[in-house]
Amino acid sequence: MRTRKIMNSPAYAEAAAEEMINSRSFWVDARMRFFKNKMAVVSLTMLFLLALFAAFGQVFAQWSYEEIDWSLLGKIKEQGGPNWENGHYFGVDELGRDLYARVVQGSRVSLLVGFLAGILAVCIGSTMGAIAGYYGGRTDQIIMGAFNITLSIPYIIFFVVWQAFFGRSLEQMILVMVIINWTAGLLIVRGQVQTLKNKEFIDAARMLGMSDAKIIFKHILPNMLWVIVIYMSISIPEMIMYESLVSFLGVGIQEPNTSWGALISEGAKTMTFGTLWQLGYPAAFFVIAQVSLYYIGDGLRDALDPKER
Amino acid sequence: MLNYSLRRMMAVIPTLFILIVICFFLMRLAPGGPFTSERPLPPAVMKNVLERYGLDEPLYVQLWTYIKNILFHFDFGPSFSQKDRTVNDLIAQGFPVTLTYGFFSAVFVLVLGIPLGVVAALRHNSFWDYVMTGLAIFSQIFPNFVLAPIMVLLFTLSWGLLPGGGWNGGQWPYVIMPAVALGTSYMASVARLTRGSLLETLSAPYIRTARAKGLPERTVLWRHALKPSLLPVISYMGPVFVYMITGSVFIDVFFSTGGIGQNFIDAAYTRDYSVILGLAILYSVLTFALTLMVDLVYAWIDPKVRSGLK
Amino acid sequence: MKIFTYALALTMTTALSSQAIAANVPAGTKLADDQTYTYRMLDESSSVDPQLVEDTDGSGIVRDLFEGLYNQDGNGKSVPGVALGHTVSDDNMTYTFTLRQDAKWSDGNPVTAHDFVYAWKRAVTPELASPYAWYMELMSIKNGAEIIAGEMGPDALGVSASDDHTLVVELSQPLPYFADMVAHATTFPAPKWAIEAHGNEWTRPENIVGNGAFVLTEHVPKERTVRERNAMYWDNENTVLDKVVSLVIGDDAQALTRYRAGELDKTDIPAGQYPTLKEELPNEAIAVPRLCNYYFSYNLASGPEAFQDVRVRKALALALDRNVIVDQVLQGGQFPAYNFTPAATAGFDVPSIDYADMTQAERDAMAMELMAEAGYGKGGEPLAFTYLYNTSEAHQQVAIVASQMWKQKLGVDVTLENQEWKVFLENRGNQNFEMARGAWCGDYNEASTFLDLLVSSSGYNDAKYNNARVDELMASAKSSQAPGPLYTEVEQILADEMPVVPVYHYSANMMLKDNVEGWPVNNVQQKYYSKDMYKVAE
Repeated sequence: MRTRKIMNSPAYAEAAAEEMINSRSFWVDARMRFFKNKMAVVSLTMLFLLALFAAFGQVFAQWSYEEIDWSLLGKIKEQGGPNWENGHYFGVDELGRDLYARVVQGSRVSLLVGFLAGILAVCIGSTMGAIAGYYGGRTDQIIMGAFNITLSIPYIIFFVVWQAFFGRSLEQMILVMVIINWTAGLLIVRGQVQTLKNKEFIDAARMLGMSDAKIIFKHILPNMLWVIVIYMSISIPEMIMYESLVSFLGVGIQEPNTSWGALISEGAKTMTFGTLWQLGYPAAFFVIAQVSLYYIGDGLRDALDPKER
Repeated sequence: MLNYSLRRMMAVIPTLFILIVICFFLMRLAPGGPFTSERPLPPAVMKNVLERYGLDEPLYVQLWTYIKNILFHFDFGPSFSQKDRTVNDLIAQGFPVTLTYGFFSAVFVLVLGIPLGVVAALRHNSFWDYVMTGLAIFSQIFPNFVLAPIMVLLFTLSWGLLPGGGWNGGQWPYVIMPAVALGTSYMASVARLTRGSLLETLSAPYIRTARAKGLPERTVLWRHALKPSLLPVISYMGPVFVYMITGSVFIDVFFSTGGIGQNFIDAAYTRDYSVILGLAILYSVLTFALTLMVDLVYAWIDPKVRSGLK
Repeated sequence: MKIFTYALALTMTTALSSQAIAANVPAGTKLADDQTYTYRMLDESSSVDPQLVEDTDGSGIVRDLFEGLYNQDGNGKSVPGVALGHTVSDDNMTYTFTLRQDAKWSDGNPVTAHDFVYAWKRAVTPELASPYAWYMELMSIKNGAEIIAGEMGPDALGVSASDDHTLVVELSQPLPYFADMVAHATTFPAPKWAIEAHGNEWTRPENIVGNGAFVLTEHVPKERTVRERNAMYWDNENTVLDKVVSLVIGDDAQALTRYRAGELDKTDIPAGQYPTLKEELPNEAIAVPRLCNYYFSYNLASGPEAFQDVRVRKALALALDRNVIVDQVLQGGQFPAYNFTPAATAGFDVPSIDYADMTQAERDAMAMELMAEAGYGKGGEPLAFTYLYNTSEAHQQVAIVASQMWKQKLGVDVTLENQEWKVFLENRGNQNFEMARGAWCGDYNEASTFLDLLVSSSGYNDAKYNNARVDELMASAKSSQAPGPLYTEVEQILADEMPVVPVYHYSANMMLKDNVEGWPVNNVQQKYYSKDMYKVAE
């Protein structure tokens, strides 16, 4: 075959060797490039601030997240808006509970769940995708079969069964979210690996006797890290919203606890009725997280691009 | 290639079988059955109902009957919640609906998403790049459950341009909003992937070589860069397209299109076993077809992948 | 049920008094040119087969497509449908209905007593396996229960046609409200020939044969149902609407937007929006009583030990500020409930219950006292329990507010737990809860439909409440000619023992365009008939 012939040329073996040497300093370079990217650094700071807000925001709250302000109940639309005097900085929710305190509480849940589940799911998906793409054949067929089944399983029933057998907790929720979404990024990574594995430098590496694992991690992974990173920055916000569905079905967190997803969907339901702040504040936090992730993703993409070397 | 496709098609049979078995037992494990209701049925009535639908048989008999009916009669069973219909009826009615708006949605996604991504990549850090970024962020800020009500408020209530929902046999004014609301966030993701991928390709050595040879930028882009850059987009669109043509639950509920997505969620809540199974099989077959198509497109674009598909 | 005075009911024909059986258009009304009425349905109907239909929206469609022995008027009273009247035998066990001569099916065949016999037998056959067979059992028709149980053939059912226009029904026990039960869809006639010709597909627009004022012309599941005027209907002359369209719209807010855009003539009001809409569109926003109650069930069988103490049960009931729940949370014109049966129920007088007349401050004080006496809550043994409800925004709001009230007033720690509907039903039905949400809508307009729930043998008694006196009273009410005082005593016992906490009685909230007339806002069961409606010119 054509590739075999090219692979046999000494020039390619040399190039491959060079590649290996280069990859040692790859991570150092990447970090440098990332921190040169202004937007990415700003975004990283924002994300850090969000985490601080989630951890310590309740210090500034004048109400607890579950307490009902009876004086506002029933007059939410007229008097429930943001107000510094009564201590409801972000207004109150549909039941007269302090939205600020609830956003703080929701940030904790959402950041935790979004990052853990999002990253885990993409990691599993990418690994499986890489394995399927690299080995092909029967391995590929089995993984694709599992991929197909996961996509076709009625997830509502799955959650309901899970809840019935394992009950409800934050860990359970993250686990089921990962189980249902483990295919995130699988197909894209599989495709990338399929094209990359036929590239000359991979052939060369193989010829030099490198193990499959080494080839995948040293040569294929760096070349498609950008896909994984972008996918992750898409997945995390998706997971944050997905959480509200899972909780809705009874697996996840439970009132009076809340999350961005729950607050946003509650706010969206009443957005046409004139209580826009109920959507606005939680959505703003979600958007900050999302935009930050977007730029961090882009920054990482640029930083991890092996051709920038 | 044909050989490869055939082999892949053979693989669908065990996959489907496993899927049916998993779903079948998953449904039985779920608390509450199709006839559990706020008003518990008297035991005699319950017995008759279960008997009529064969739910009193041992599980393996039920499973076997189900598979047998599919294999020999292509009959996916009756619906328990819509007693006048069979699963075949429901799919025949709902699937064309979601297929229609899903198709237009996919067209919308690709026709807008890819050019946006290309322009953003070519004019890296330019006005168009920012427009694309803005759009990508916007469409994620406005997930469809926020975007759809806003669209209806504007196009239906304020301007009276489009009907606020319904399907009406699929006349075009009824298709527009579901298609756009469904596609917007995917459009942004496609633009983003295109941009990322194209930037990646444009920095590849062979493109540098092509440029060094003095080929016009246009030729470089169209001849050499674009096709390989679309590979990740194609992988991404495969499952998304399945999702689109099987209908978004939210879009179906919100716009009352009568599409298949609504059945999927309703059937799960009402424990309409045969509908759930029928739809899972439909999803699976579609996913299978679309992933195969993605692979074939890959092979078509990248000759080396093709040679890998022995 | 009060129309048929039992003194009269010897062998004399009870001709129904009211003539309000069609659209009652006052003289001089200018009708709109386009008589198309479009309304929103929350979900697709379970069926349009009268013997199979289970849901209220579906029954609404069936009432347009078929007509039973009796209809209901705007106040919920029975008025002639296919039957002109009936006689009752001395022992109150045999009902003889006289059918009108001019009733026709949409294919021109006459509607006869045989069609009813066929339909009623069909409703109880194990082969059809209608989940609503329980309704026929409830009607106490002779041998009904045995046929459902498979012990007898359907032909043994105590219903026969002595001639084409006389239907005779035999009961297994006297049932004072029997004649009012025949306005229900399950009892509507069925066209044997069409069902035999088309089998399961007989309800498709191209196959269906009905005897109602409208015929089904289009039916797209989960999207729309269209029915149009039936020229064969005996009272077609007085039907005003030409076309009735029901659209399935799952989202409340979206349905309201489409209503505002003029796409709908009637829709439901999203939770909590009634006051705002009432202010904005006072002629269109409507809240009327509905025959349903909402309550919290204690688990008396296997719940927390504290629930065995009647003082704790009462304290929790007292500390619940129902006015806050009704006026400030739900805001839909619901009625605070201090007893189980809704006040709107026909023939039911709300007993005077002590805590109903107190102020909330008095109730709170009494609650704290009772709690202290029982030795729980603030200063006593901590009381904590889980409240189970099914996932839904309105239920969640009630749950949150109630739990906060108990926490603040009584120091009770309530964990909320939501479950998906069927999981919830399964757990509640198996006493797998500590306290759970309950709600019940009347099957017919009479107090026993509610109070039967608390009889110890009832399959719906989730609290597993067991009181011999209640059982006895409810048993004797079954055949009593004046059960009112019995119901009052039962309610009194319930108030003393508080096995469930009544929270509120429902109201139906809707937006109805003010040019639509004839929607029965005074019918507490909301049994509407499109043939009674019309649209006036604006």
